[in-house]
Amino acid sequence: MAMEVTQILLNAQSVDGSIRKHAEESLKQFQEQNLSAFLLSLSNELVSNEKPVDSRKLAGLVLKNALDAKEQHRKSELAQRWLSLDIAVKAQVKACLLQTLASPVPDARSTASQVIAKIAGIELPQKLWPELIGSLLSNIHQLQPHVKQATLETLGYLCEEVSPQVVDQDQVNKILTAVVQGMNASEGSSDVRLAATRALYNALGFAQANFSNDMERDYIMRVVCEATLSQEVKIRQSAFECLVAISSTYYDKLASYMQDIFTITAKAVREDEEPVALQAIEFWSSICDEEIDILDEYGGDFTADSDIPCYYFIKQALPALVPMLLETLLKQEEDQDQDEGAWNLAMAGGTCLGLVARTVGDDIVPLVMPFIEENITKPDWRQREAATYAFGSILEGPSPDKLTPIVHVALSFMLTALMNDPNNHVKDTTAWTLGRIFEFLHGSTVETPIITPENCQQILTVLLQSMKDVPNVAEKACGALYFLAQGYEDVGAVSPLSPFYQNIIQALLTVTRREDAGESRLRTAAYETLNEIVRCSTDETAPIVMQLVPVIMMELHQTLEAQKLSSDEREKQNELQGLLCGCLQVIIQKLGAAETTKYGFMQYTDQIMDLFLRVFACRNATVHEEAMLAIGALAYATGTNFLKYMQGFYPYLEMGLQNFEEYQVCAITVGVVGDLCRALEDKILPFCDGIMTQLLKDLSSNQLHRSVKPPIFSCFGDIALAIGENFEKYLIYAMPMLQSAAELSAHAVADDDDILEYTNQLRNGILEAYSGILQGFKSSPKTQLLMPYAYHILQFIDTLYSEKDMDDAVMKTAIGVLGDLADTLGSHVGPLINQSVSSKGFLEECLSSDDGLIKESADWAKLAISRAVSG
Amino acid sequence: MADEDVSPQSSYHRNAIKTSVHNTSAQRRRQLAVAVGKERREALIRTKRLCREALFDDNEASLEGNMNIDEERAVLNAQASQIIEDLKSAMTYQGKGAAQKKVEALRALRRLLSKSEIPPVKAALQAGAVPLLVQCLSFGSPDEQLLEAAWCLTNIAAGEPEETKSLVPALPLLVAHLGEKSSVPVAEQCAWALGNVAGEGDELRNILLAQGALLPLARLMMSDKGSTARTASWALSNLIKGPQPNAATELIRIKGVLDAIIQHLRNLDDELATEVAWVIVYLSALSEAAVRLLVKSDVVHLLVGKLASSESLQLLIPVLRSLGNLVAADSYMTDMVLVVGHNTTDQILLGLIKCLKSEHRVLKKEAAWVLSNIAAGSVGHKELIFSSEATPLMIHLLSSAPFDIRKEVAYTLGNLCVAPAKNAEQPSIIVHHLVALVNRECISAFIHLVRSADIQSAKLGLQFLELVMRGMPNGEGPKLVEREDGIDAMERFQFHENEEMRNMANGLVDKYFGEDYGLDE
Repeated sequence: MAMEVTQILLNAQSVDGSIRKHAEESLKQFQEQNLSAFLLSLSNELVSNEKPVDSRKLAGLVLKNALDAKEQHRKSELAQRWLSLDIAVKAQVKACLLQTLASPVPDARSTASQVIAKIAGIELPQKLWPELIGSLLSNIHQLQPHVKQATLETLGYLCEEVSPQVVDQDQVNKILTAVVQGMNASEGSSDVRLAATRALYNALGFAQANFSNDMERDYIMRVVCEATLSQEVKIRQSAFECLVAISSTYYDKLASYMQDIFTITAKAVREDEEPVALQAIEFWSSICDEEIDILDEYGGDFTADSDIPCYYFIKQALPALVPMLLETLLKQEEDQDQDEGAWNLAMAGGTCLGLVARTVGDDIVPLVMPFIEENITKPDWRQREAATYAFGSILEGPSPDKLTPIVHVALSFMLTALMNDPNNHVKDTTAWTLGRIFEFLHGSTVETPIITPENCQQILTVLLQSMKDVPNVAEKACGALYFLAQGYEDVGAVSPLSPFYQNIIQALLTVTRREDAGESRLRTAAYETLNEIVRCSTDETAPIVMQLVPVIMMELHQTLEAQKLSSDEREKQNELQGLLCGCLQVIIQKLGAAETTKYGFMQYTDQIMDLFLRVFACRNATVHEEAMLAIGALAYATGTNFLKYMQGFYPYLEMGLQNFEEYQVCAITVGVVGDLCRALEDKILPFCDGIMTQLLKDLSSNQLHRSVKPPIFSCFGDIALAIGENFEKYLIYAMPMLQSAAELSAHAVADDDDILEYTNQLRNGILEAYSGILQGFKSSPKTQLLMPYAYHILQFIDTLYSEKDMDDAVMKTAIGVLGDLADTLGSHVGPLINQSVSSKGFLEECLSSDDGLIKESADWAKLAISRAVSG
Repeated sequence: MADEDVSPQSSYHRNAIKTSVHNTSAQRRRQLAVAVGKERREALIRTKRLCREALFDDNEASLEGNMNIDEERAVLNAQASQIIEDLKSAMTYQGKGAAQKKVEALRALRRLLSKSEIPPVKAALQAGAVPLLVQCLSFGSPDEQLLEAAWCLTNIAAGEPEETKSLVPALPLLVAHLGEKSSVPVAEQCAWALGNVAGEGDELRNILLAQGALLPLARLMMSDKGSTARTASWALSNLIKGPQPNAATELIRIKGVLDAIIQHLRNLDDELATEVAWVIVYLSALSEAAVRLLVKSDVVHLLVGKLASSESLQLLIPVLRSLGNLVAADSYMTDMVLVVGHNTTDQILLGLIKCLKSEHRVLKKEAAWVLSNIAAGSVGHKELIFSSEATPLMIHLLSSAPFDIRKEVAYTLGNLCVAPAKNAEQPSIIVHHLVALVNRECISAFIHLVRSADIQSAKLGLQFLELVMRGMPNGEGPKLVEREDGIDAMERFQFHENEEMRNMANGLVDKYFGEDYGLDE
């Protein structure tokens, strides 16, 4: 059955594009036409030691890709296909794979390890391949180190693929024993030790029981700590990675090891190679993450409950930890500010310092100030930059009381540095620090203002001047201006920015047109800052925003006229179109929201809509997303007048709703349908058949990302609200969908926060649909069409109430639906409502809620119910 | 081919604290844009709700009123406890004017419980009202005391379910005072209290039946005094509501009951007739024995007379429902009573037509239901209805009326098109009725029913389509159905969860739109 595939596999890696393509096609055909033979051929290739290493490696990779995919739908399809294969074929593939683990060729072993793990990921949850772990463990006692190494690697991948529930504790114990033994200093082969350390990283999630046992935990911790002192840098790095994973998984078990860990990490940060030192810093960042979460749950109230108590490790380590981190700040790389993905000791150290500040608050300030004061005026740019960076890092966390006096002194120094410092790194960090000052210490909620009428002009002059600096500095200056504007967003009728408004806009537009605006994402930052400036405009400055409309429209028009672009240029063009649509969206939202500006703005809507429709002709997801959002804003601003654009827009709306792959586009389009419903009201009716068809298709698709489903349900409600009793014809489809989704979502798996959050979103969407439908039918002669569903809706609310895991949003919507039910169906549902637990306990609970909106809905529901019950 | 990074812990690192503004700003802007839509939805829903709340306020006590009600309630509760205390001391007082003291305390309590909009029933019960009132009902007490005590109990029984149940200890005495030895006002007041108790639910009804309330109430119904007969009829209709049919059967077998019913229906008192008609509603709905007796009595003619002559909505509803129950329950009605050509038959049809024309939805619905039962009768009945004014009215209702009426009308119209089934054969079609309905564009209305979420209605619709496709001359039925999108409507049931509907719809589609369909064109 198996075929000779060596040549095809080699061809698939050929430098000649056409040969490669042909080979890839053949492989694909082979896979589609005869999966069994395909997999057998590949596993034969992989196991054969006489075959070239390149073809064996690729055979393993193709094998892996035939079993697993990133996309969830495809992944389960591949798993099903594997499971449905003939048992003898599967056994033969598995045998080849296990045999490959003993191959002298490292690449073949490593690929086989991964494939075995993938198969385990499919089969173990089905209770298949029970002998796998046993046969792997028996390999451990082999004398040949390379077999041992491959086996440990396989166990590591296996733990990554399979969830801990699938493996019973006895086997977990054996795996851990084998892994920890492999890590032991007494292990002669460093390859084996490295594989074992990496395997432990993945196996940690399986070790809940073992970490609860003092002796076992002590042993594992000792071995991990010893491995951080290994001769081999990779082993040390991997051991620190284990420590990082332990810090987040077993935070509450660490107390007795913290002293030792501090010593180890401090030594690594100061002396070890960078990859190791970075992991050592990461350990402390991870501890900060844990403590920030726990303290968040305390919510400032130390008697409040958290599942895990805070051990205040950071607070205790503070006097030693902060100096260690400050030292790292001096280890900058020359060109780190030009490289967006850069990550080095200084960056990791500053990031950790910022987390420490958020964890301990005021306590960090006296520990950092001496460092700043000592270094900020030094001739070496590294020292000035490190001092500034330290300052910027600790601005979130400590109280404004503590920081404001310091910032007052520092501000003018910073402004001078931004103008005059000879070093770009220093200027970059200075502008960033100014942005952090405005982000955290400026705004309507801050008591003592940092920015006064006296210094406002100076700040703006410096920032606008810096926007002419090199791209990375200009980009940070835009960011500072962004946060400066954000702080004035709800300032009222008179904004301190108004006198400078025209200049700010002009400066930002100039930045967007800079030749080098593509570097350091300068153009994006400038447009987003412009948006923020628009958003914080007041009545005084609205005319300036109005003047901006034709300017941005012209820019967008020009991008659409450009022809014969290279693919690189086209990509840039698309990005620019996205930015311009985003900018128009904010402008429309702003000008459309006020009566004073709305009228004047209407003269532009025809042209704007025309531009948006042309934008849709380009095939780029981000651009569509932005254009959709802008159209939603436009619909709101134009109201029923939007009808005249519907004919032209509808095909793109439908296209958006069909966009499964770029699901964000789909989600935003669903939101736009809601905007259209509110804008057009019943005039949307002629388009509803098409829209509903798409929405129902979306819901029944298992390809569409699940996050889009809750908004689709809400959208049913929007449509029903808009078209009222005309929703009748969709009831037969929509109601069963809502019912089955309601049944699924009523009982959530409460042990997973993500699932619970999603479930609550789903519930909220379903309830919003019910609310909209009930309200839509209110006072129509067709209300009784809803009677058959009343019982189910009540039951859904009753179940939600008894499950006790809904969030405030669901609670508010649910009590509202109860009221809508009573309001729309009146005395017909009186008896039903009377029987339901929701009408008693749930209503009482909502009536006494602290949340004003819940209480308001509950008051209303009570009134509607009392009427329904008495009528 | 694409090679993936195979190293276990890749170059992942956390986000740097020093970051560009674009990382967060664009995301924040989009979230804001989406949030705006959500806020607007909320605002829309809130305004709709609040606007309706304002409507409520016009009809009911305003919110400011609630404040006063709370205060008022506290005052009333205090008064109730005080009066009960007074009553207690009056009960133990043995001296001169003891009886008078008791009656005064009882009267004060009765006034308190009947005057206010929110009677302080709960407070009175908590203060121990029921045992005192039971004591006041003891045999040999003066009539005035009995009357006031029964009245208090009547008002307590009108309250919440729990409050009604608290009367259980008083029931035997209330039943006892229904008897012939009691004065008429006392008996009537006790009947009233018991009517309230019986109306609460079948649990209390069963207790009352076990305690023998039926016979004395039936006797009371035979009274010549209008108010007594009315109260007793009302109490009886509550008592025999079921769900068990025994009480209804037992009632009709009590000697004199049927005569009393007939006598009261002859009376011109609409209010009395209304309560009696409700008794007939439950008799005819629950008891076959009662139906057999009623159809052969004068009751039917009298009901038909009321139907034709009365304009009272209160009366017409139970009259219609009684007639419908009777026609549906016993073919004697159509075969022997409502014979085509008889005056009664013409009269009932006129009465039903009047109700179909009425503004009241309930009347329309009940009338359509009665008609549908008559239309299930002989070919003669079908022809009579078909040639009457009822048919155009129903055709109009079929496309314009609320859903429940439409369903009843559809049922009737469907019945008009098929002859009564003989043996187990498919009923034969009255073709000229069918053609006439089709010519008046009924198909689309029936297809509308097919699309309904209500299975019964959908079934009705399908049955009519079957008639059209089988019965229309020259085999033009399928084409007519197709023209109105009927195929699509039927295909909706292709995978329907209800097996009967699925088979029915699939069968029709296969039979009339199968492979051969359209070949001869």
